[in-house]
This record gives sequence, structure tokens and C-alpha cells, in this order.
Amino acid sequence: MSYPGVLCVWLKALPEQLKHGVVAALCVTGLSVSAGASSAEGGVSSAAEAAPAPVERSILQWIERMHSAPCARPYAGTFVVLAASGAMASSRIWHACEGAQQMERVEALSGTPRTIFRRNDEVRTFWPQSRVVRSDRRDASGLFPRVPLVEGTSISQFYAARPVGQERVAGFVADVVWFKPVDSLRFGYKLWSERETGLVVKLQTLGANGRVLEQAAFSELDLNAPVRVEQLSRLMDATAGYKVVAPVVVKTTATAEGWVLRQPVAGFVPVSCHRRAVSADDGAQGVLQCLYSDGLASVSLFIETFDPQRHPSQPQVSGMGATQLLAQRVLPDVWLTAVGEVPLQTLRLFAGQLERTR
Amino acid sequence: MNNAVRSDGLVGGAVVAEISRREQLSALADGQLHGDEVADALAYAAQAEGHATWQLYHLVGDVLRSSDLAQPANPNFMARLRDELAKEGPVVRPAAAVVPQVDVVAPAMAEAANASVFRWKMVAGFASLAAVAAIGWTSLATLQGNGAPGAAGGAQLAISPESGANGPSSGAPVVAVADADGGAQVMIRDPRLDELLAAHKQFGSTSALQMPAGFLRNATFETPNR
Repeated sequence: MSYPGVLCVWLKALPEQLKHGVVAALCVTGLSVSAGASSAEGGVSSAAEAAPAPVERSILQWIERMHSAPCARPYAGTFVVLAASGAMASSRIWHACEGAQQMERVEALSGTPRTIFRRNDEVRTFWPQSRVVRSDRRDASGLFPRVPLVEGTSISQFYAARPVGQERVAGFVADVVWFKPVDSLRFGYKLWSERETGLVVKLQTLGANGRVLEQAAFSELDLNAPVRVEQLSRLMDATAGYKVVAPVVVKTTATAEGWVLRQPVAGFVPVSCHRRAVSADDGAQGVLQCLYSDGLASVSLFIETFDPQRHPSQPQVSGMGATQLLAQRVLPDVWLTAVGEVPLQTLRLFAGQLERTR
Repeated sequence: MNNAVRSDGLVGGAVVAEISRREQLSALADGQLHGDEVADALAYAAQAEGHATWQLYHLVGDVLRSSDLAQPANPNFMARLRDELAKEGPVVRPAAAVVPQVDVVAPAMAEAANASVFRWKMVAGFASLAAVAAIGWTSLATLQGNGAPGAAGGAQLAISPESGANGPSSGAPVVAVADADGGAQVMIRDPRLDELLAAHKQFGSTSALQMPAGFLRNATFETPNR
């Protein structure tokens, strides 16, 4: 049922293709659908009236429910991500839990063939064509069974949860809830949470006035799939015949690196700082990546030495789906790249507050 | 032909002015006019002669699309259509908001290589009009009824990925190079930014929303062998 809306986002985001009259005509049909689907304000009120009894939960209750959902039942499904730019990716997902262990297998169905395994905070990406496995360790925060909240954030202070009604996604009835931001420094989210398990089966990131910037959803889902942790674990460890690459990551802090935000940006607290080589061109020093989060959205500040060979003299901005990017020279010898699922103005605030302490 | 006309002096001057006004109409259809030029072209289109030219241009476009359309629009039908449209409720989409969006998009398609060929110009005219309309439409949703400075900035950003030649299959993001005020000016591609995006997605996603995986969303941006 989400298909017409999806199709429309895809169509209207492709002006290149609209140069054909036929496609343009299609788009007109699609746009009328989108006008209803993407306007959160309009959609919210009408859907709320239609629903018999929307479930009232606080935003923290919602998040807790969604967070523990993936372990309620093993599942397998096909997952589609669409950016407003027209970019689309789909993946096949298997997920299972056993005790405190959480396992996930994600096989990319579009783009370069690759399979990503996750065992708790350990991530391995298999590139079958080049026979390379990349091994990474994510910070455990945000992963089951720990509390999903980033310490120090107060989600309920910056977002309000509003039940919107119920809709069917991938064959399951889902509660629809809107996380509405209280200010313009963050995006809103519309979530479809499967009614029995709470599993998020669809997610929309909403820009100003409810425009859908990005959406992700299961197109097909099996909540009784025979997925077992040991089975996935065995596949994840089958690295024979592959070259294993494990990039060096050094944990550090912004203070230790000589950086500070003069004033915190509303609601965003520091989460972590790492030095890592992002690409082969990066020297031994690598790039400093400091992460900030308000509990839902996150911002990465990449700080590196200004290199006239690599960096332009003018600031750069870019947007892909819900993710915005701002790159600029903050000091004569420092190049900053701020990336996050937040409006550009939030990134500008970060860039303006960054200060060197030594 | 133009040269011959120009050498004719005074009388020719009038003809030249006539031609340039028609060209302006064509440019209007191309979405290439800005500011006062738009007003001028619209004023010309409101005159009987300009109006006829405008209709002729659309007829040419129709015929190019399908020979079945090779007949002028029935004026009675058009009049009735206008009346019926006028009865429709007001559409709450500020038309003025389209213009700044066109400014951003236009430099990319200002002068096509085949610009001198009239026929192609007509085709391009309708095509880019459709494109601009689509872009305008998507951005309007953002701009609608919102005068906040932040919202305007957001609209420009939304434009950058949409107006660039960045098909769904391309790996690197299109980047709009901003001037001091943050206005998008030039489109470039930078694989480095793509790498940083991926690093943010993989390590930065603290998604408490627990979609299947935070790094899944980055599938949209990922490029191989990193």
C-alpha cells in the first residue's frame, strides 16, 4: 500500500528523466498521491480521526518498545531504502537473538554485491568480488540489550510522540507514530511499528512541513523465519579464501585532541571520538571523527589538516536523503566536514561553535 | 537570415526586436528568464501577437510529441477550460517561490550545444519546463507557508541532489559549492565526501529506532572496497 507514494518520490526526484513527456505525465499522477502522503500535518489529523483508538505511549516508551522488538522473534525480510534524490537500495535481511547475543545478516540486493554480518557490536562486510572482508567494531551503545539511549540526551525534551493511527506494511498491521521535533534543528520521523512485536517496519525522515526526505521499509517480512544465531554466526566466521582487513581505529576525546564546542548545540551531546583512516590516502594520522547525538539524530565532525591539493577554497554543502553535509575551512590550517541526519543550519551551528584549545 | 535583416537599418531594427521578443518567449518556456525578463516576456505574451506566438510554440511542441495533435487548440474549449479552472478552489502554492529555485537550476542548462537549432530549442523548452516544474513542485512542499530563514536554506539543499546529473546508480554524491551566503552555485562530484558520509553512517548511526541496522541506511551511499 505504500507503493504509490514510494513510486512518486522516486519519480518526482528524477528531473532528468522527466524530460520525456510520458514520464512527466506519470509524475503528475504520482504527485497527487505524494501531496497526501508527504504532508505529515494533513495526514496526521485525518488518520488520527480514522483510527479507532490510537495507542498512547510516551516517546521513551515507544523507543524502548521498538528497541527490544527485533529480539521478540527471529525474522527475515526484504528491506528497501529510498532517498528523495531518487537513490534506492534494497537488501535481504536475516535477524535472530539468543540470550544476550544478537545476530544479523544483510545482503545487498542492489549496487556492489556485499554481505554484512553483525554480531552484537562486531561488524564484518564481505565483498565476494574482490574477496575482501572488512572487520569493524562499532561502539556498543545503541545495541541490544543495552539501553538504547545515549547518556545525557533527553529525547523527550526535543521530540514529542503523536500516534497517527494504524496502517498495513508488508502484510502486518502497524501502529503509526510521529516523532515531532520541537525546534528546526532536527528532522521529524514517522514510524510504523508492528502491532504485536513493536518492530519498526517502515521509517520516514521528514523535513520541514512534513516533506519526506528518506524512507525505508520492509516490502516483505516473515516474522516466523527459521533463522538461528549459530547458523548466522558460522557464516560470519567463514572467512576462508578472503583477505581480512581491519582498519586501525584509535579511541580518543575531543579535549585530548585540542577541540571544544564553545557552546553545546541544543540537545546534542558528545558520544565518542575516534581517529581512523577513512581512505587509503589518509596519512598515519588519519581523520578525527567526533560524534554527537540528540538520541535520535547524530552528527559527525570530521577534522583534518587543510590540504590545498584535496580541499577546495569554498565551502561545500550537499544533501542526500535525510543526510546533510557541510565542509569548510574553520581555521587557516583546518578542514572540517560535518555530516548528519539534521538540517543544514544545525551543521552550521556546529561549525560555528568549534574552537581549538591549543 | 538574421544578418540580412540587421543590415536593413531602421526597419530591420524593429524586426530584430520582434525576433528577440519571440526568443524571450522561447526562453520563458525554457525556464531561463529571471527577474524583469520574466515580466517583460509575460507582458509580451499578453499582447495579441505575443499570445499567438506563445500558442504557436505550444502547438509546435504538441506536434513534435504527436502528429495527432497537429491542430490549433479550439479557442472555445480553452475559454471553457479556463473558466472551469477559475472555479476550482485556490491552490495554496506560492508561485513566486518557483523563481529562486529556477535560478539555482538554470546555470546547469543555460546554453545547450544545439541551442541554435530552433526545432531542438522547442523540444528542450518543453522538456526543461517539465523538469523545472517538477523541481519547483518538490521544493514548494518545503517552502510552503514558511518564512523561516532555515527553511529556505533547506530548500536549496534539497535542490542540489535533485537537479544534478546524479542518477540513482551513481556512487558519488553531487555537491553544490556554496558561496559565502550559503547559496548553491556549482555542482561538483567528490568521492572523498562520499567516504566521509559512509564513515558517518557506519560509525555515527546511534539509531535508537532500531531499524534492522543503522548502517543499512548507508547502503544508499556505499561504494565498494572501503
